[in-house]
Parts: sequence; structure tokens; C-alpha cells
Amino acid sequence: MTTTARPNYRFVNKKQPRLEGVAKVTGRTTFTADVKLPRLAHMKLLLAPHAHAIIKKLDTSKAAAYPGVAGVFTADDMPAHVQRDAAARVMTPFAHREVVFFGQPVAGVVAEDPSIAEEALDLIEVEYEPLPAVMDILDALKMDAPPVRSGMGGADNSELAAHSVVTEDEGPKEDKTPPNVTHRLVWARGDVEKGFAEADYIVEKKFHASWVHQGYIETMTATVDCDLDNNYHVWISTQGSFSSRDGLAKLLGVPEGKIVIEFLEMGGGFGGKIQPYAATYAAVAARILHRPVRLQFSRSQDIRAGNPAPQGYFEIKLAAKKDMTITALKAKAVYDSGAFPGSPLMAGGNLLGSYYKTPNQEIEGVEVITNRVNQGALRAPGTPQATFAIESAVDILCHEAGFDPWAFRMKNGVEAGDPMANGRNFGVIGLKQVLTAFKDTTFWKNKDVKPAVDANKKIGVGWAIGGWLGGGAPTSAAVFLNGDGSINVDIGSNDISGTLTSFAMIVAETLNTPMDRISLQQGNTASAPYAGMSAGSKTLRTVGLSVQKAAESVRDQMFKLVAQRLECSPEDLECMDGTVRVKGSPDKSVTFATLGAMSTGYGSPTPVIYGAGTSGSPAMAPGFALQAVKVAVDPDTGLVDILDACCVQDVGFAVNPLAVESQIQGGMVQSLALGYSEEIVWDEKGVLRNPSLLDYRLPTALDMPNIEVKIVEVPVEGAGPFGAKGMGEPPIAPGAAALANAVFNAIGARVDTIPVTAERIMRTLGKL
Amino acid sequence: MHRFDYYTPATVAEAVDLLRSKGAGGKILAGGTDLMPAMKERGRHPKYIVSLKNITELRGISFDPQSGLKVKAGTKMSALQRDPNVMRHYPVIVQGAKLIGSLQTQNLATIGGNICNAAPSADAVPALIALDATGTVHGPSGSRTVPLSQIITGPGQTSLAADEILTEVQVAAPLPRSAANYVRHVPRKELDIAIAGVGVHVQLDEALQRFTHARICLCAVAPVPLRATGAEAALVGQPATAETIEKAAQAAAADARPISDQRGSADFRRLLVHTLTARMLTASVDAIRAGR
Amino acid sequence: MAKQSFTLQVNGGTYQVFAEPNKCLHDAIRDDIGFTGTKEGCGTGDCGACTIWLDGAPVTSCLVLVGEAEGAQITTIEGLATDGVLHPLQQAFVEHHGMQCGYCIPGMLMSAAALLRDNPTANEDEIRHGIAGNLCRCTGYTKIVDAIKSVAQA
Repeated sequence: MTTTARPNYRFVNKKQPRLEGVAKVTGRTTFTADVKLPRLAHMKLLLAPHAHAIIKKLDTSKAAAYPGVAGVFTADDMPAHVQRDAAARVMTPFAHREVVFFGQPVAGVVAEDPSIAEEALDLIEVEYEPLPAVMDILDALKMDAPPVRSGMGGADNSELAAHSVVTEDEGPKEDKTPPNVTHRLVWARGDVEKGFAEADYIVEKKFHASWVHQGYIETMTATVDCDLDNNYHVWISTQGSFSSRDGLAKLLGVPEGKIVIEFLEMGGGFGGKIQPYAATYAAVAARILHRPVRLQFSRSQDIRAGNPAPQGYFEIKLAAKKDMTITALKAKAVYDSGAFPGSPLMAGGNLLGSYYKTPNQEIEGVEVITNRVNQGALRAPGTPQATFAIESAVDILCHEAGFDPWAFRMKNGVEAGDPMANGRNFGVIGLKQVLTAFKDTTFWKNKDVKPAVDANKKIGVGWAIGGWLGGGAPTSAAVFLNGDGSINVDIGSNDISGTLTSFAMIVAETLNTPMDRISLQQGNTASAPYAGMSAGSKTLRTVGLSVQKAAESVRDQMFKLVAQRLECSPEDLECMDGTVRVKGSPDKSVTFATLGAMSTGYGSPTPVIYGAGTSGSPAMAPGFALQAVKVAVDPDTGLVDILDACCVQDVGFAVNPLAVESQIQGGMVQSLALGYSEEIVWDEKGVLRNPSLLDYRLPTALDMPNIEVKIVEVPVEGAGPFGAKGMGEPPIAPGAAALANAVFNAIGARVDTIPVTAERIMRTLGKL
Repeated sequence: MHRFDYYTPATVAEAVDLLRSKGAGGKILAGGTDLMPAMKERGRHPKYIVSLKNITELRGISFDPQSGLKVKAGTKMSALQRDPNVMRHYPVIVQGAKLIGSLQTQNLATIGGNICNAAPSADAVPALIALDATGTVHGPSGSRTVPLSQIITGPGQTSLAADEILTEVQVAAPLPRSAANYVRHVPRKELDIAIAGVGVHVQLDEALQRFTHARICLCAVAPVPLRATGAEAALVGQPATAETIEKAAQAAAADARPISDQRGSADFRRLLVHTLTARMLTASVDAIRAGR
Repeated sequence: MAKQSFTLQVNGGTYQVFAEPNKCLHDAIRDDIGFTGTKEGCGTGDCGACTIWLDGAPVTSCLVLVGEAEGAQITTIEGLATDGVLHPLQQAFVEHHGMQCGYCIPGMLMSAAALLRDNPTANEDEIRHGIAGNLCRCTGYTKIVDAIKSVAQA
């Protein structure tokens, strides 16, 4: 690990197993469907079988009369203020008069038993009038394309804004916008034509990235209860309990305080569980039935009616001089948002032009809608797609010009003060340090080693860089001293990857007290301190800052009390293993337990020692990663074996290196899989053809090698505790590009589409 | 899943009688690895299920050097691939069994289920057809033994009547100077379904120079596991050379009748048949000459 | 279509489940008996999250009807630790951080425990084969393999 001169830490920056580890390995962790409730009813959804259709008739009466059915719900049962056919699906969960994607929920049956609900679904009578479905991303751009949908409310970009601090620089508004174009932007600087004229090498190519699913192992699940005073109680697999509460409150038309969401473990989110879809359907029923209603999406329904990540289409023109200097980049990015706007056009489009110094640059971005399920966030939204395009183009350029790809990136890679595509400048970033550290990896040392594989297979190495700006949000946290001197930490963010353990480590470091005296608690949204959703690579760094402040506050309160008692100044004091003592005079001390008893005892004049920490969004602190893979390709079938892999990433400061490594490894495997086997397929009629984990191919343990991780730390003061940056999303950015580059290196097939499947390889080679 | 009636008979005769007496709308349950997903996701809603779990006479493997291998239809894939006689005399059956789904799938799935589910991509079947396996079917009017290739008639369709049960699969004693191999192309290394598969069974003459017997069965490139008869004809009597193998591989690709779907296009599947046939033939010839 | 009584042997105990025969084993274990550690990820045998042992053999319990499991010894994640002492693999998963969200972990541990029971010195390739039927989206498998390796080599 790269180290810089800094204090010796006792607790942070050390490998710490999860505090919840024993619960997880014994099956005691509570997930949404594990919660037993009295009078629990089960909901099953009826999904539309057409990509685009008018609902001519919807008769639920037979289903409602089926024995064991508590109720059947449709758009007519959504609260009256809900705008039907709104621009955000989460605000209009049931299709109203128009079905706009295959799999759109049209009705929901609630019954005593899931089997009864399923049987009753067959009794719902629906008549559809199919309409033309717009499926092709380029056809959707056309002026004369049929409209994907006939009406829509205002667009909502708040989720994307929470993900990353990207400005809304809209491009020039055109008089005539094609009917399915819902967003466009242009970012330009310098003179690209002049830049092309100056260049010695120009690469011009189109790229395509497919729709992919977050692939969380626990499907979208929620239970919503509603009492007769319209108090809602919710259990949901979510990345943001508070943000879900906010969304549900808007849908239900009640103040946020009327909804209480319990903090629960979530079986993976990766961006797909930011919006509380499962709860929206259950809530429509619960508010009428006044009993708990659980909706657990089946896997096939989750793929059909979740919120997967959008396909992207890119046109890249990249130019450089003989001395490797990039002279111009002109890029067009088109994102397919599905049937509802809100794609990560800005985030992806910005990163497309923010990896390299380019004096002359023009990025044009367009968002289209098509008759597909609405897109949703997936780890660094928009970025694996854009990174695949730009890093493939760079790889092509280096190959054609004979540039050393490492030297090329070192020369042109962005640094502090360089502009992003959107015109704002980078602060301190670690791209160069990541590039330098790459040469220190075991992967690099062994890159020319050819492992023993079948004689006909061709070995190749490829790598790429990628990054993510990271988001921010206001947060709060509380720390308090128990009567026995132990410490409680109250957290209102959702733990995805082990942040709770990291928060305990931060408190341990701040109070210089061992971890076993620290307990974390999470109640519900009525009791926990507010924090933003766990997305955007910001949980550790934003909540961590508040945790630090809360712990410091407790420390300061203890110091004040002890200073009075020992008649010294608070500056003379330090914490050590459960005591507060005078520096240099260890015998002059008061235990945390004494202070705890003082501040909680009956009749005591000492106030409770309670520290509240709050913070606003900290400074942006983008994270960069480099990923490299070694592959073996069978030139006669196109089959790819991934033999070796490594990721170098700048995380600012690794509060828990074990958790950081695990995140990086998981992110890289996810990125490689986007490059290798994952895609959602719709046919030309708009029917989704692979809604199962048999045909939507998540990687197994046999498909991936061990992932070597090299952590780089370029801390940014104030960005997070101890200078930590967001690190959850950068590792999904470069892997797909690295894989495509490795395949080219192995057999000379430049596949312009991810996933790089065997069939696409054979086609690119001209063998099909 | 919809609700259904459920029966657990103790004998084949009882099971057959249930199917006959309860009439249409029933399904036989063996390992459940195909029926359960079909009931949950593909709209299969049987009125009743006849489970084979209690029928001990449907489990067991026996081998005799003269009469060959007999596998009861309810034998699990995991048991099949661990049987010492199967491993020694019919390694190609082990190859197929190991490819089905995952370890968990193999601990549930049965050889009878893999055959009677009649998926064009069934991994245990091409090897069996290449070995000229037969199957015994029991029904109300008695039993009959027919070539396996006559049992599978279409995607998800068999020649079994609604009240018949496959009870046993038979494979003749191994031919001298013969070898059999099965391979499939899948995008992932586990949990996946064949895009195309090829099973071959060949024999060489005493001089180990010419093919005297050839069976090639293709998987996932036709409505049924398909004998590549054009390819077989290009082998028998011909010298076992790379040239002959290449001709046969091309013929196999021409024999295939693949469709294009989201798992792969027809021409990619033909390309795979060509490559995999050549590889399986080469591996089999090498094995025979090496005395394996 | 009527509820029947099924007798299940789970983790050394005997339980009566009164249910429709279309109830899947993992639902019976979770809802009727109360061992909620076994999870559902797909319902079709394609992810391994619901892996339990039937007579010691790892199977995906979402594909097993409750009646099919009568007469078998069923072991779930709750049966892996004995008398409050963690199985060495459970200990190793904690120490090596072989988890993030933890949803796949019960099934993963059941596959890993069966693997090492039958092949105590499994190498990395055998380990990856042994857990190839268990999908994990969070960890990328490296630390899971590290954890299993540490027990296999011990």
C-alpha cells in the first residue's frame, strides 16, 4: 500500500472484519422478507405483455371475488393527486391508460397466500390495443419516429443530482425536437476542427454498450402497513430509507413523518434500489386494506419491471500529434432512458470528456426514450458505457500510432486544475498516482507471462482507466456515552458494504477506545439521524464526517467535565482506552464509566453526554481507477477465459482496507462482467427475451480470477474522514474497456459493443 | 406457483395407475429442476403431480461387461457421474452429467428427467444417443424398449403417452477400439445452457486407421438432439485423418438446423458445430490410439 | 388442492408443517418453521442463494417441494454452527471479510462446507468449482475463495 507521512492510526486504516460478520455467516441478519408480521398479506403483480399499447379494458372483478383475495389494485386506486403517466415511474407505479414498456405493472392482487394471489392474476381480464413500439436507439432519434408515449409530466433529475455534483448545462434549445428526445447537452471548448487539422493520427469509431441489470441477489422487496390513522410502517430493501420515505410521502400525499421506515439489511442495490418501487405498489394496497402488504418481485419480474442501466451509443473522434499530445476530441453520446426520462446523460457525457487534457473538445449528448422499462442507476451511472467508448478509442489510437499506452495516459491524463467536459475544474485527484502504482503490481510484473492454456488459445493483456466524480449530501450522526462508559453510535444511512463497521472505527480512533466498547444502532426513520441515500460513493465520506464530529463532541463534553474535576484545562487531556487522562500524567484520569454514571444517574445534575454531528455536502473528490486483465481467447469459437486481473484505485484514505479491497474486487468483477457476458435483450417487438438468471448471465466464481488490488491514497482534506474519498463506484468504470482491449490484444478483434461475447468476436473477425 | 394435488406412489405400477385414472392435466415430478421453473415462470399449471420420490425401483445403476449399462431413470446426475462403472466405461456420460446446471442442480436432476423434459439443449442426451442408448417405458398396457432418439420428438415433447413413465436407460457394452466425447459451448463456465453441443462416438478398425462406426449427436441446434447423419456417413470407412475429420465437421454443420435466438444466431451455432465436431472427433481418435 | 401435514427433519429437530403441497421447501423452512437464514434469489435454481443440504447434498431448496423433502435430513445455515460454536468456515468468512451484503452467504457457506467436508484439502480450482453454483454480486468472489482456502490449508 502506498503510504504518505501521516500519524500512526490505532484503529482506522487497519484491516477490520465486519462487526455484523457473525450475524451474516449464521443467517441471523434480518432482510425485508425475514420480518414476520401479523395479518401479512401478499401482493403479486400483473405485468403488461406489450411494449406499447392502450389498455382498452381492465376488469378485475373476477379476481377480486376469488376466495382468499383481499383486493385487486390498479392505477384507479392510486391517490387522487398522483399524476397519471407522470415522467417518473416511481410517482405513477401502475400503468394508466397507456402501457409504455413490456412488463409494466398494470394491476396487483393482494391475497392471504402468494399462490392464491398468483391464481387470481389469471382471472384479471385485460384487453390491449398494441401500438408501434420504438426499440432502436438510433431510430428513436428521428424526427418522424412514432412517439414512445403520448403524454408525460415534468422530468425529475433530483436523483442524479444526489449521485454526483454535475451541473445542468443545457445545450442550445432547438425549435424542433424529435418526439422521443428528452434531453440534450453540448459542452464545447477550443476549436475541434483546428485540433483535427493539427493532428498526425485520428481515430473515428462508433461504440455501443448494452442494457444491463444491477444483479442484486435479493430482488426488490417491501412490506407496507397502514393503520386507520394513515400512519405508514415500511420494511424495504433500499439504499436510502430517508430518500424512500421522501418519495413515498410524495406518492401518498402525506407528511414525511407519517411514514416510518425500519432500517434493514439490503441484499445488494448497486443503484437499483434507490427508488422504492416495491413499496409504491404495496403502499397503494396497504392504504386501502389497512394491513401489512408484502411485495417481493420474482427474479423475472425484477428484470422486466425493475430499473436497469441504459444502453449507450457513442461516436468518438479522437486525434493526437506524433508526440502523443491529444489535440482534439469530438464525441456524441446517446443514452436510452427507457420509457421514462432521467438517464445519466450528464454524468456519462461529462466523464466521456474528463479523463484527458483536451484543449479542443466537443461533447454532444442526447437522451432518447424508447419503449423499454425505465432506466435506473447502476454504480457510476452512465460511466462504464462512456469509459468503454473513450478507452477503446484511446487503445485504438495508441495501437495505430505506435504509442506506449501507459506513456500516452501519463502525458494526457487529467490533473488538479484541468477542466472537465462541463467546464468545471478538477481539484486534487490521483489519476497519475494510480498510473504510477500500476507498475508496482504483480499483474504488471507478470504481464508478459503466458500461463499454460490450450495450445490454440491466444493470450492478450488489456487495461483502461476510469473514474467517478462522486456525490455529496448533508448528513447527521449521533454518538453518546452509555451509563457504563460504553459508546453508542446512531446512524441513519443504509449499510451496503460495511460502512457501519467503518463508522465504529472512526469513533474508536476519535475516542481512542477499543472497538468492543462501541455499539452501532439503527432504528428507523423516526428515530435515526438523517442521512442521504447510500449511493454516489458518498456514504463513508459524508456520514463519516458527521460521525467524526459527533465523536469529537462527545470527547469535548467529556474533556470539559474532566477538566473541571481534575482542575486542568481541556487542552491538557487525552483519551486512552476508556479513560480521559492528563497527557503525561496517566494516573490523573477519570474513566468513561465514571462519566457515564455521572451523566445518566438518577437525580444527577450532569447532562447526558450526547454528541450530534452534522455536515453539508463536502467538497467533490473524484476517484480514479485502473484495471487490467489477461485473457485467453479461443480463435475458433470466440470463448474468452479471464486469467488474471488487477485494479489500482485511489481511495483518498482507506478507513477499513478490508472493506475497501472487497468493494474494489466486487466492482471490478461487475465491470468485467458488463464487458463479458451481461446484457438484457429485447426483440424487435419490444418483448424482453432473457428475464432469468439463466439467460441474464451474472459471473460465477469460475468465470473470474482472483482480483489483485492495489490501494493508492491521495487524501483530500475535508472530502471525508482522514481525507477519504468515495470509492464504491470508480471500480465499475474501466473493467469492460480493459476486457475489450485485452481481446483485441489477443486476437486482433476490435469489438465495438459490450458485452464482448464469443459471437461478436467471431463476427468482428469476419468468421461469420 | 398455482396449487395442485400431490401424490407420492411407492411403485411404478401405482404411478402409472394414478396417471391413467386421474386423466389429463398431470405431470410427473422427478428432480424438479425443469418442472419447478416451468410452474413458476412458464405458465405450466398442472392439476396434479405424481412424484417419483418414493419409488425405490427407479433408482440404481448396474453394469455387466456383456450386456452393458442399465441406469434406472430416477438416478440423480450426481450419482451417475460418481458411479465407478460409468466413470470407467462411459466417461462421456460423466462429461454430460457434470455440465448440467450446477452441483446443486446435479444433486436433484435425474437422467429420466433430462431425457423426458426433451429440451433441445439437454446435456445428458447427445452422449446417450451417440451411444445408441435405449429406454424402457412403462404404461398401463405394459412396457416397451425403444431407442432414446425415438423418445424425444420435439422441443419439450416425447413419444410417451400421458400415462407412461420412462423407467430405465440402457447402453450396450463398450465397443472395442472406441471412444466417445461430449462438449458444449457456453458463455459462462457454470450455471449455463448450451448454445451448441456435440457428442460423438467412434470406433476404429483393428489397424486403428479407419472409422468403422460413427455416431454424432448435436445439441441445441435443432428441435431435438439431432443425429448428424451426413457427418456420420462422411466418416465410416474413411481414414481417421484430419482431412476426413474436417469434412465430417463441415457436414455436421450442414446437418444442423439451428434457430437464431437471444442465446445465439443460427450461423454462430453452425460455426460452433463445425469447430466442436472436429475437436470431439480428434479427441476421440487420439484416445482410441492412446489405448484409453 | 388442500393443505396436508408434512414432517420435516431440520437441523436435528422434527417439525410438522401444515401446508399446500405446492409450498417450496425454502418457504416451509423460513415461514412455517422459522429458520429464515435461507434466502431466495431467483426461485428457479439459477443463483444458489437458497442452497441447503438434503442428506448432506447441497441443493437449491427453491426447486424442492415440501413433500419431496420428507424423510431427508435437512441442514440449513442455522445447522452449521454446533452448540454455539461457529463452523471454521463461518469463522474464516468473518476474518477474511468474505461478504458484503451477506444475502448470498448462507447458501455459499452450505456449498463451501459440503465441498470441504468431502474434499478437505481442496485447491483453488476445486474451491471455485465447489461454489460455482452460488452467485455473489458484491464481493467478486476473491475474499470468499481466500476464506475457504484458509480452512482447506489449515
